Amino acid sequence: MLTTYTISVFTTNTVGLLNRITIIFTRRRLNIECLTVSETERKGVSRFTIVIRNENREFVEKLVRQIRKITDVLAVFGYLDDEIVFNEIALFKIATPLHGESIDVKTINLDWNAKVVHWGLEYVVVEKNGTEDEIHEFYTYLKKWEILEYIKSGRVAVGKTEKGLVAYLPEEGNWEIV
Amino acid sequence: MGQTQSDQPTLLTGAQAIMQSLVEQGVTTIFGYPGGAIMPTYDALYDYQDQLHHILVRHEQGAGHAAQGYARMLNKAGVCMVTSGPGATNLITPIADAMLDSTPLVCIVGQVRGNLLGTDAFQECDVIGMSMPVTKWNYQVVDANEIPEIMAKAFYIAETGRPGPVLIDITRTAQSDKMTIPFEYKPIKSLVSYKPRIEPKAEHVEAAAKLINAAKKPYILAGHGVLISGAEQELNDFVDKTGIPVATTLLGMSAMDADHPLYVGWPGMHGNYGANVLTNSCDVLIAIGMRFDDRITGDLASYAKQAKVVHIEIDPSEVDKNVKADAPVIGDAKSALKALLPLVNKNEHTEWRNEFKKYDAEEYEKIDKKDIFHDGDKIKMGEAVHMLSNKTKGEAVVVTDVGQHQMVTNRYYRFKKRNSIVTSGGAGTMGFALPAAFGAKVALPEREVIAIIGDGGFQMTLQELGTIAQSGLPVKIIILNNNFLGMVRQWQELFHSRRYSFVELQNPDFITIAKGFGIDGHKVEDRAELSASLDTLLNSKTPYLLEIVCEKEGNVFPMVPAGGSVTNVRLE
Repeated sequence: MLTTYTISVFTTNTVGLLNRITIIFTRRRLNIECLTVSETERKGVSRFTIVIRNENREFVEKLVRQIRKITDVLAVFGYLDDEIVFNEIALFKIATPLHGESIDVKTINLDWNAKVVHWGLEYVVVEKNGTEDEIHEFYTYLKKWEILEYIKSGRVAVGKTEKGLVAYLPEEGNWEIV
Repeated sequence: MGQTQSDQPTLLTGAQAIMQSLVEQGVTTIFGYPGGAIMPTYDALYDYQDQLHHILVRHEQGAGHAAQGYARMLNKAGVCMVTSGPGATNLITPIADAMLDSTPLVCIVGQVRGNLLGTDAFQECDVIGMSMPVTKWNYQVVDANEIPEIMAKAFYIAETGRPGPVLIDITRTAQSDKMTIPFEYKPIKSLVSYKPRIEPKAEHVEAAAKLINAAKKPYILAGHGVLISGAEQELNDFVDKTGIPVATTLLGMSAMDADHPLYVGWPGMHGNYGANVLTNSCDVLIAIGMRFDDRITGDLASYAKQAKVVHIEIDPSEVDKNVKADAPVIGDAKSALKALLPLVNKNEHTEWRNEFKKYDAEEYEKIDKKDIFHDGDKIKMGEAVHMLSNKTKGEAVVVTDVGQHQMVTNRYYRFKKRNSIVTSGGAGTMGFALPAAFGAKVALPEREVIAIIGDGGFQMTLQELGTIAQSGLPVKIIILNNNFLGMVRQWQELFHSRRYSFVELQNPDFITIAKGFGIDGHKVEDRAELSASLDTLLNSKTPYLLEIVCEKEGNVFPMVPAGGSVTNVRLE
């Protein structure tokens, strides 16, 4: 069975590191479902959140060790979905032509927990936060209008633990908060 | 009184900073090839010739392999310096080779001017992108001020932990610009994101000792890590105390005296019969500084399944990668063996050791005897190497290329001295031996260095005869010539119904070629003249090439067919 794994990689802020990390996936012919790179609360520390699907836990563990081996990587964690709080963000550009069916803002707000973030002349942009499944369901709902564009971000995730990032970083580093 | 002009520290150019960094790092030798984008650094080198011995190779690949041979002998980074574009791409093969065989290299590569980066400028190529999968670390320098720190970091990363190649790509402007801060070289002692574990954890060592002490049929596989960490003595002490039989991997060869009573040869595709088969009879397999390469394990599903595995390894990503470890010990081989020694019981495993002897006897009858004491008139590779081993008393540094001659050399050369093999293992790079042997000789001129090369591989880097001739160093070169790409031919014979697809070579007159480079040599075809020919080679005070014309269709046995089980060994 395919299981979703979220791999969080903490690194020093180095040019080209994304390439070095993705090579590890490419070499093993492993498709990256989504990838988010962002800064963290600690100066000079970047965070890569990579989602993959795989049948073999051992394979993922080996992958994590290979990533850890990269010289500029500070820490790596492989998570199952129940070990993290995670979310994605999606934007939908919906056509609202003059005499067409207008969108139901109330339902979008209350039932779908989404919001219109931009009103154009003959379109609106709707933003929806949620898990991949929630966003997918919302997509199905919106299909009754013409979807001009749809975009979804990669996953962002934090571990379900009381510990902060700095607890996992090498002790001697100067992990100044930003 | 105000400071006068002369009190100001002189500011170095980036190129001078590279040179000064090398000197302060203790580097004495550079293998290199100049070109446009590295010219400012070569200009600076002109003033550093007293401190930095630069060797001009004939092709950048030669620089890389020579630096590898040098590094393997001294266990410190070999340095090569090349220009951008093709200079850099020619270095990719040695870098990949060094990555697989854990060889420390620092490659200094010129790059186009900073303002031309990414414009497809003359001799520009994305060497950072290209070398990323095959370097331990790489970095592009665009600011001269960064040079001392980056150089220090390069050496630290290349030489520590599991060693490997590091590449620094330096723009021409970063070389020619003056630094705006005074030069200061501070060797790096640790990096926050890179923490190789040298000393193993006590609980790991205890768990390993427990397994070893309970073992009835323990078996050691000693790898390159023993040579890299300089743990030959520790391995010996450990083996003498525990009485455990030891095999060495191809790269771990010479970790132990070949005549040690507990030495049982080598495992793997063309390794020894008993060393392979008994992998599946031992109850505890102790892997030291090795990575269970597929050429050693064959079919993993049937590899040592009955055994508990102790894996001593410096690179955590190697543990459980191919073979699951019951007792992993993360640390370097030397520290781990030191820590284990007091915890293991004194023991003798005479009966178990004797099991290997039964296989040895069969192997000797079916293979060795036929290779060494045959009645044919053609020279066999085995007898040539056997004779060389006897004549050099097993004390030479032997550098091999890749193929049949490589396997034969490791079968028949009886290594007596530590750290005496240089071979391309993981990458299997043909053309490796000639430049690598040269590099080894530069590192240790007092030792006899012998390159053993096939006729195919020799023609891949033979231009380095020019480098050897120019240096005058007496590198001894043996070509085992069978006019075939022998290993491929062997596979085609055994697995492709003798359909010899593009493996026969029309060879040049190798001796004339050598003489053209100013290197003396001769060709031997007659078995009766083999001994005298080897004497001539060994007695030469200058570089010498001996071409030994060998039986054309000789095969290397034993053989574990690719992907087969280690118990399924073909002896003929």
